[in-house]
Amino acid sequence: MIYLLLFAGLFMGWSLGTNDAANAFGTAVATNVVKYRTAVIIIALLVVAGAFIGGSNNIDKVAELSTSNEVIASESQVSEAIENNTVETLRLKTAIKAAIIFTCAGLTVFIMSYLKFPVSANQSITGAIIGWGLFYADYANPEILAINLPQIGKFASTWILNPLGAGLISYILVWIFHKFVEEKFSSLSHYDKIVKTGYLFAGAFASYSIGTNSSANVTALYYDAAFNKTGVAANLLTDARVAATIGGVAIALGVLTYSKRVMMTVGSSIADISQIDGFLVIIAMALTVVIMGKWMGIPVSTSQAVVGAVLGAGLTRGKENVHLGVFKNIAIAWVSSPTVAGLLAYIVALATQKYFA
Amino acid sequence: MFNHKTKNNPVHMLIMEQINDVENCLIQFESFIRASSAQDVSFDSLNTLAKGIIEAEAVADVSLRKMIDSLSGSSFLTATRQDLISIATGCDAVANKCENYAKMSVVQNFVFPDEYNEDLLRIVSISRKQFDVLRKSISLLFSDFGGLLKDHSILDEIRKYETEIDKIEESLYERIFKMDISLPEKMQMSDFADKIADISDIIENLADKIQIMLVTRKA
Repeated sequence: MIYLLLFAGLFMGWSLGTNDAANAFGTAVATNVVKYRTAVIIIALLVVAGAFIGGSNNIDKVAELSTSNEVIASESQVSEAIENNTVETLRLKTAIKAAIIFTCAGLTVFIMSYLKFPVSANQSITGAIIGWGLFYADYANPEILAINLPQIGKFASTWILNPLGAGLISYILVWIFHKFVEEKFSSLSHYDKIVKTGYLFAGAFASYSIGTNSSANVTALYYDAAFNKTGVAANLLTDARVAATIGGVAIALGVLTYSKRVMMTVGSSIADISQIDGFLVIIAMALTVVIMGKWMGIPVSTSQAVVGAVLGAGLTRGKENVHLGVFKNIAIAWVSSPTVAGLLAYIVALATQKYFA
Repeated sequence: MFNHKTKNNPVHMLIMEQINDVENCLIQFESFIRASSAQDVSFDSLNTLAKGIIEAEAVADVSLRKMIDSLSGSSFLTATRQDLISIATGCDAVANKCENYAKMSVVQNFVFPDEYNEDLLRIVSISRKQFDVLRKSISLLFSDFGGLLKDHSILDEIRKYETEIDKIEESLYERIFKMDISLPEKMQMSDFADKIADISDIIENLADKIQIMLVTRKA
């Protein structure tokens, strides 16, 4: 019965799949370069592969953030529960907390979408974790402060570093292509083959990066990071790789079942960049997400990276090609998604403190 | 990666075949205009020449359909197929224009007065040069696409020819409407002048299409 609580995370994974797939293959599908069926099969396979191969690193990092923010039980709390013979209660409460975090994040996505504001699901989850922690974590404790403050700082810094990094990588890729590669196209059919291969490679790479990046956001809250030390399962999942793979499968299901509409909408809206720029932007996005994941150790927003990469590509043609007005809406999403989710989580933590305290 | 073979591309061969057929139509059209400017032209001989143009146009139509059919089995992307069809149908419009002029001229027993023939022949001759540059540009799409992406000034040549024709066309209209003939006759004459000058407009539109194709594919 307790495993039913896992569905809150899986549902979040499913919705991530319906949306993030658009970032990997949206332009290619909307412009008929790659067939929708081919795209979803590649995304589904590569997302699961990315989660299986590289997702566990992020699982550990998100679990660490969740532990210091009192969402997941710490090693000492598990040891205490073992002594008091209350491990099952702790396990249930931890799983419920995870479900609450996902509900707050999901509600944020729903409210923001209803109000027609841009929204980031990845950022909402992290925001909700921190919101919960702001109520429960003892921020007066220098140890907690020493762990949480850098993490929050890291999280906020990705708002700048993620799009900036993607923009820089995209600028370099487009510039190199324009300067050294473009004039070597022997014919129109050669150009078409490069575009098709480029989109397939970029989409596959982006799908892999989504798997490594976003799978942690689906199941890390159900992961017991202390299991290896305590030997007792104080949460639903005890293996980081299995947890990441389950997250990847949930995202893949979202891709396979309900991604077409979003893919066509997102794809068409950014399709006015050239076909070459299109796949270079996706490669830049995927590279950034992988690098940020390794470097910062927390899942970052793929949408932020795409926006940065599109702007970077535009800059190669001069400042006048960059519409900074676009930033207004994006900035609203970057700040408001985690803030609203954090606020909701804080309110729920306040309302349920009798049960969880 | 960049030693991609372009020879023997069936679409390339068929589109060039169609362009040659359209050019053949244009050559026959030039002969028609030349013949109709002769002092003692007979309508029988013009009729024979018109039939030649109609046949050449039919051949160009067949080539167009073959080219379009070949696209379905090709590896070209949808957007490229659409662009190639648009270019091929644009070329076909040149042949249609020649055919239409010849048909109408025969049906209406129409020939321009002597004083216009030199200008008309100049328009047709420039249109042929313009079409030749268009043919080279289209060929470059299949043989040096990267070079064309970098420098497509060849398309400006087509536009220069069109401007040249525009000037001749304007002076033709002025002279036609100053003539001491009835308005319907003036309208008929200007309509025929229009048909000839339209060929150059069609070719210029094709140059624009190629440029759009290049701009949208540039990184």
